[in-house]
Amino acid sequence: MRSLYHSSRKQEKLTESITMSSEPKDSTKTPAEQSAAAVIENKRSPADFLKAVLGRPVNVRLNTGTDYRGVLACLDGYMNIAMEQTEEYVDGQLKSKYGDCFIRGNNVLYISSPTR
Amino acid sequence: MEEPLDLIKLSLSERVYIKCRNSRELRGTLHAYDQHLNMVLSQVEETITSVEEDEETGEEIVSKRTRNVGMLFVRGDIVVLVSPPLRTS
Repeated sequence: MRSLYHSSRKQEKLTESITMSSEPKDSTKTPAEQSAAAVIENKRSPADFLKAVLGRPVNVRLNTGTDYRGVLACLDGYMNIAMEQTEEYVDGQLKSKYGDCFIRGNNVLYISSPTR
Repeated sequence: MEEPLDLIKLSLSERVYIKCRNSRELRGTLHAYDQHLNMVLSQVEETITSVEEDEETGEEIVSKRTRNVGMLFVRGDIVVLVSPPLRTS
């Protein structure tokens, strides 16, 4: 328990030093290294996108090519999805509507959010 | 609702619509489910949709067959979508 705490403190210091060092443009670093440092600085991950689209209209495409458009209610680690006001599109044509629907995560190809 | 499976929990002992692989659809009363989405349904109507092509005209013939089952255990891995009946809440 104590060692875990210790290592997380160490991690904090490490990221701190990375952000510190990347602030002034360091000419000794390659562009790739600089961009990698920028990513660490921003700490962006795919999960952040999913958090951002919760409660918003999304388009979910399944492996079969079927699209589901609706409001993303929630999702879990398996990428199981609960949606509201869902419309089912097969080959771009509206096939049916569901008030609520649950989509099993293994069928999901992608989740996209409409461009604003 | 905190996780998607809560939607299924809310549908226990209600009629549900299940879309499966191989263009099969099930409508039945949900009695039990687990994290894999294995499910036990009763009073089930299974609809199997198949598309055949007419050899002469090349037209697509969509045929639907339905059958009724009293009690059914569904293996979770074939499930694509589950939808509870429309609620007015």
